[in-house]
Amino acid sequence: MTGVTAATATRTATRPAGPRPGGRRRRFGYERRRAAYLMLAPALVHLVWWIGIPTVATFVLALTHYDILAGTMTWAGLDNFVAVLSTPGWWAATWNTLVYTFFTVPVAMAIAVVIAVLLNTRLRARAWYRTAVFMPHITATVAIALVWMWMYEPNLGLLNWVLSWFGIRGPAWVADPAWAMTAVIVMSIWKGIGLKMVIYLAALQSIPHELYEAAEIDGASAVRRFLSVTLPMLGPATFFVFIVSLIDSFQVFEQFYVLTPQGGPANSTTVMTYEIYQSAFERFDMSTASAQSVVLFVFLLALTVIGRRLSGRDDVA
Amino acid sequence: MTIRHRSVLRAVAAAAAGLVALAACGGPAPGGGTGDGTVSGEITLLTPIFEGADGAAVLEEQIAAFQQQYPGVTVKPDYTDYGTLNEKLTASIAGGQPYDVMLMGIGWVPPFAAKGVLADLGKDPAELASRYYERTVEAGVHDGKVYALPIMLDTRIGIYRKDFFAEAGITEPPKSFAEMREYGRMLTQRAPDGTLTRAGLDVLGIDPRQAYETLLWAAGGELFTPDGKPAFNSPEGVAALQMMTDVIRVDRSEDIGFTMPNSPTGNVMAQGRAAMMVGHHHFWTEIEKAAPELIAEDKLGFFVITDQRPAVFQGGTLATVAAQSRNPAAATAFAEFLASEGPSLAANEQRGNIPALKSLESSEFVQKNKAIQFAMANLDHAYSEGGVPAWLEIRGKFKGAVESALLGEKSPQQALDDLAAEATAATG
Repeated sequence: MTGVTAATATRTATRPAGPRPGGRRRRFGYERRRAAYLMLAPALVHLVWWIGIPTVATFVLALTHYDILAGTMTWAGLDNFVAVLSTPGWWAATWNTLVYTFFTVPVAMAIAVVIAVLLNTRLRARAWYRTAVFMPHITATVAIALVWMWMYEPNLGLLNWVLSWFGIRGPAWVADPAWAMTAVIVMSIWKGIGLKMVIYLAALQSIPHELYEAAEIDGASAVRRFLSVTLPMLGPATFFVFIVSLIDSFQVFEQFYVLTPQGGPANSTTVMTYEIYQSAFERFDMSTASAQSVVLFVFLLALTVIGRRLSGRDDVA
Repeated sequence: MTIRHRSVLRAVAAAAAGLVALAACGGPAPGGGTGDGTVSGEITLLTPIFEGADGAAVLEEQIAAFQQQYPGVTVKPDYTDYGTLNEKLTASIAGGQPYDVMLMGIGWVPPFAAKGVLADLGKDPAELASRYYERTVEAGVHDGKVYALPIMLDTRIGIYRKDFFAEAGITEPPKSFAEMREYGRMLTQRAPDGTLTRAGLDVLGIDPRQAYETLLWAAGGELFTPDGKPAFNSPEGVAALQMMTDVIRVDRSEDIGFTMPNSPTGNVMAQGRAAMMVGHHHFWTEIEKAAPELIAEDKLGFFVITDQRPAVFQGGTLATVAAQSRNPAAATAFAEFLASEGPSLAANEQRGNIPALKSLESSEFVQKNKAIQFAMANLDHAYSEGGVPAWLEIRGKFKGAVESALLGEKSPQQALDDLAAEATAATG
């Protein structure tokens, strides 16, 4: 930036005298654009190299039969998509992903709102509580999953030990297909609350205090104030958290991979991303993996477009 | 400046000189030959064995010993485990930079050799069979050519606690599925509230695929027909899975989740939480560390799982060289080194496995390990997985099929028929 400014200054100083305002403006505009492109270049190179090219490659691979080991590639048209969409395993994985999303997104959001409201009041050691709730979000998912794997251990784990105090025989959490998905969902809710809580906390602090004062003068109870003032005012934040969480939940992988390896008991926790991983790295079938990725991409794109449309309406309103 | 022909040539020459200088700074050129018959250069190694800090220390020692023989060769190891070996291999091959030396299991060599990933090592199978156990040599041969050198082999056998058997009045290990189930029922212990405290027969302590395959072979079945068609859904295969299912669902000799492969809580036999199991012979090494008194007091026994015939599951680890290796001479030298006496013994000691070299049979390590001696004495009954080029695409599907039967979601016949349909689709 400084270099560009210095160069411009030097050129300006050596330019012959005479009023040429239009030319100076054009030159100045060109130099500004050049500076902008220069500054954008690292990010653009990164985007093209790590996102653009792999995305194009994924679409190309999805339309071919590519044997990664032999290095051969033949045109497949839509064969891979037909194969993916006619595989029961893919639909089972889609269903599992939807179940996971249904329980993690709204439940975690509800808990996050309650925690944010509590941590927005004048509590002692409030900063410590906020940090504690936020910590799981910044901790590596694999590390968290390993700790929860120990807690879920059916014979010696913490969870069943606590349940035994109440005479309850805990299940084999991650080994029993009836409980494996629940186990992953509970861990994911716990991990995901932190970020949602922070967003809600910021939104809560931007609600004008006069609204609560007016509600109090009108005799509204605390619950009524929460339902009639807080929740409506959190609308935009709720929408943002919902869309981000929704997309995030469709891309979930690590906790399933660690807590319930190889698709979980009887494939009960196989999700879409795990199916893609299996196609690519277990079955060496990059073309099917690419087709599955494109299907997931289209799914997420549709969700994002819907979200933007709804968000636009909300802004207009 | 006017660009002249001579100045262009000078610039090209300078650039070429610069590139040569850069290449010199970057280390020796690929190829590995130094002209005097020795090998040199840098090679990469992908290893699913030598796990953990102890394993890494053993490998580093071996690399140092190798570099004494080949001072010009640098070995860069990359550690993984069998669970994630595939993805490392795939990523390296897709990236056009396969590891020069790759250690892999029995059943993996034919699919990779068929696709041209592995280099023909130019060895004579008959000569190798004179030095290594023949079954391990066969695992590295594809279309008559040797693509892999054996380092170790491992087995799945029956393991039992002699003290628990004696308490129950059982005098000898089971000789059929019926006896295994009967003993399992006798040895199972539950708390008054029904909580399982000791599994009479543990069939969940190792990978479900490997447990099932051991029983499949004992029942007289095969994984595939000689022409590569699925055979595991034969009546013998169904009987094997039925046996596993009955242990859980009928006999209740074990509960789902009571044990699991590589459990973070330790070895169930060492803890006395299982009286008998389909297990890995290297549990001996684990128990030696966790409960050495069991070894000292001779409380651990072994048996070959038998029904229609005795059967031992036999796996192994072999050293291969990538066909696209940039330094094939050094890579081949290192693969041969890993399969030689010293490194092989060190690797087997660390992992508790059976050396593939016959000459190591007399080593102190082998002589002191009763599990290894038992396994070696029964290698005549050994069977190995794989056998079709699409094996790597199929093997991961077994777990879900076996578990769906154990959980009662499908009948054993249905689970295996569905798996066979998937395998048929994969094999084409």
